Amino acid sequence: MNAPVLVVRDLTVSVLQDRQPRAVVDGISFDLAEGEILALVGESGCGKTKTAEALLGLVPASAGSVSAQSIVLGGTNLAALPESAMRRVRGRDISMVFQEPLTALDPVFRTGHQLSAVFRRHRRLGRSEARRASLEMLERVGFADAGHVLRSYPHELSGGMRQRVVIAMAMACRPRVLVADEPTTALDVTTQAQVLTRLTELAGEAGTAILLITHDLGIVAHYCDRALIMRDGRIVEQAAVDQLFRQPRHPYTARLLAAARGEAP
Amino acid sequence: MAGMATSLLSVRDLVVRYPGRGRRPGEIVAVRGVNIDIAPATILAVVGESGSGKTSLARAILQLQPIASGRVLLSGEDLAALSPQQLRAARRDIQAVFQDPMASLSPRRSVLQSLIEPLDHFRIGAAGEREDRAVAALETVGLDPALRYRLPHELSGGQRQRVALARALVSGPRLIIADEPLSSLDVPSQVRIVDLLLELRDRLGVAFLFVSHDLSVVRRLADAVAVMYLGTVVETAPAQALFAAAAHPYTRALLAASPAPDPRLPRPLVLPGEPPSALTPTAGCVFHKRCSERLARCAAEEPAQSNPGSLEPHHSVRCFLWKA
Repeated sequence: MNAPVLVVRDLTVSVLQDRQPRAVVDGISFDLAEGEILALVGESGCGKTKTAEALLGLVPASAGSVSAQSIVLGGTNLAALPESAMRRVRGRDISMVFQEPLTALDPVFRTGHQLSAVFRRHRRLGRSEARRASLEMLERVGFADAGHVLRSYPHELSGGMRQRVVIAMAMACRPRVLVADEPTTALDVTTQAQVLTRLTELAGEAGTAILLITHDLGIVAHYCDRALIMRDGRIVEQAAVDQLFRQPRHPYTARLLAAARGEAP
Repeated sequence: MAGMATSLLSVRDLVVRYPGRGRRPGEIVAVRGVNIDIAPATILAVVGESGSGKTSLARAILQLQPIASGRVLLSGEDLAALSPQQLRAARRDIQAVFQDPMASLSPRRSVLQSLIEPLDHFRIGAAGEREDRAVAALETVGLDPALRYRLPHELSGGQRQRVALARALVSGPRLIIADEPLSSLDVPSQVRIVDLLLELRDRLGVAFLFVSHDLSVVRRLADAVAVMYLGTVVETAPAQALFAAAAHPYTRALLAASPAPDPRLPRPLVLPGEPPSALTPTAGCVFHKRCSERLARCAAEEPAQSNPGSLEPHHSVRCFLWKA
């Protein structure tokens, strides 16, 4: 395995439930290797989305408290960064793609404006350079007519097109780590294959490691190198994908696999 | 497919159109002449991606969507020809379950109240025994009757969908139109509901029209499958025949794009091109722009639905690659 680019140690996220703190992420630790595609698998409510939000510093203080011994991204401990510094890291060194692309796109601006903003902010490009870079990025996520997409508003695009625009934004700065939370759950199966293929190709070219959060073991089987199985806020098993499907060690993993194959749990 | 005589539901040449509005004057043809049949106590899965017209088809069958032309026959009776009173009675026989159970359950009504409402509406049973019927429906869908005093938000997603199912069952329908009823659930809950639907089919003799985009669920559940693309049924077949030997290039692309939970199997294949828009009318076969096997005539003529002799009985396809 390559050297780790992200090292997470003892990450806990607590939320208030009936005025009592409850750890929805309960002291998890894992490494993400350079260029690796790591799956984080679990059922809804297991804490996988809260893990993603915590890594990106996106858990608002009102929604819960995050503590970690360390979240080290290429030598920087994100757990100790103030929000002002985190803002410079987010989108440049670590970026994200969520399930619903409309939450990441502003409905009142054309996609070109929003994509250019990433280049202007993080790479300090001028207006026309940013536009050229945006066009090129859209072509790389597979748009035949990138100019048209650039001039479109989000509502004028299909779900799969929107998610590819979000991926273009997330990959614009060739981040070291991309956190993708159920990026294709809202999409159709043919669109899903297209989006995941583009995403993994782009990440491969840029050397970006991906933490791919999913409940779909079919996606894990075909697009990921390794997997973490999460249940009730803890990682119950981690293994290389081939190993995981051939010989799951934890009974919970075996049950998830059985359900995915259509066997009654 | 079964002939009209044995069909519980027959849909003939159904067309659904949405008028254009405002700056988009173009009209959308969501369903373009669909024919399907469902035999009693069988499950027909309508499979397709967003924009394929599968939800419009389901809504038109339920008479929730105006029909531009064509007929929907329940036991041979044209639903559009019924008087409002007759339609109300027919709704006892044809019920619906939707994707989001929260949208079909009132947030302020207990499970029991939601289950009694259809009984009151159809005046089924004496008022005093309606609670017993409601409790029996809960047991039928595998829920603890103790849950009857709960409100929807106090239930899990899987429990809510079971309540929605119980509510559809309580009036004793012969057909349930289920539009993506599993897509808001986790995989383990999906597996349990699939088992429940099969049990309801076998024990109560209920038929289902099951709208889904999830082929792995359809493979386990359906007796027959109709595949839709751009408002058209491009292939229909007994489920076994479809999964063993899909005939239409779109069906094959759909199957090849789904990731099987096994890393030893081939990686999903990408279907090139963008999903079509129902706004732009196409000449020829609905799939020709993305088809890797298209012939010259595919862009000009639309193939008819036919059963080539080389396919199994009841397996029909709209494609020039297959000679009738």
